[in-house]
Amino acid sequence: MVNIVIDEDACVGCGSCVEDCPNDVYEMDETKNKTKVVKLDDCMACLSCHEICPAQAMEHQDIHVAKRLYIDRKVNYALERII
Amino acid sequence: MEIEEIKGTFKPELIPKETGGDLDDYEDALHVLMKFMGSMSSALEQVSGRGANAIVYQAGKRMGHESAKMMEKTENLEQALDEMGDVLGHEFYFEKWKPSGQSSYTTQEGDQVVIKLLFMDCVVRQTLRRTGLPQKGPLCYLLYGYMVGAVEEVMDIKGKIDIDHVGPNACLKTLTIKWSGK
Ligand code: SF4
Ligand code: SF4
Repeated sequence: MVNIVIDEDACVGCGSCVEDCPNDVYEMDETKNKTKVVKLDDCMACLSCHEICPAQAMEHQDIHVAKRLYIDRKVNYALERII
Repeated sequence: MEIEEIKGTFKPELIPKETGGDLDDYEDALHVLMKFMGSMSSALEQVSGRGANAIVYQAGKRMGHESAKMMEKTENLEQALDEMGDVLGHEFYFEKWKPSGQSSYTTQEGDQVVIKLLFMDCVVRQTLRRTGLPQKGPLCYLLYGYMVGAVEEVMDIKGKIDIDHVGPNACLKTLTIKWSGK
């Protein structure tokens, strides 16, 4: 079962995730000016919100992580040694 | 990079026992094919405009009809989708999806049945990301055509597929089938 964790220190309250999520999973908490999860059961783990969030403030736990075979293993390996 | 040449004896054979190459070769081949597909898709779009979608859709539909010929015919949509899932395998891994407020996966709208499919793994999506192309372009129509062709073949009815949402980790599509025949 998917779980979404919002890093409230990182969230800048831009509301992009609220606008972008096709299933209205998020809502703005007006008092805190941060996003909050209101419809967790409707999250389909598309991760569009990850792409749009400027602060990388959310984490989706226990989801199906799609294969990413387009990433070159040799490049990954080289980067791992540098970083 | 030095290219190692493989030399050996070769006799006529029905099915080669060895394919040659290792995982790196498979990866290189995959990346070349992804780049090739990506560039073919943009060229097609450049030359044929929106017609590119129709061309790729037809190609996918033909593939869908072909591969579904081996599947057992059924009038049960959910059973047909389970069978198609087996044929599409892990590279086009999908599940039925419904919003939390809806009780069943299928909904009836007149003589049409509607079901939402969540595609989690998709080689097309990976190809688009590899080549920096946006989703919902001509290449995506290959999969739409494939699904529609396979459903039509297995259930002997008319179907269509629409995109609800595309994301980097999953894409939601709506499959509609019409009971009133082809
Ligand atoms: S993963 Fe998709 S469905 Fe889930 S919260 Fe993000 S945008 Fe919404
Ligand atoms: S997109 Fe990111 S920064 Fe903006 S409100 Fe949502 S979580 Fe906060």
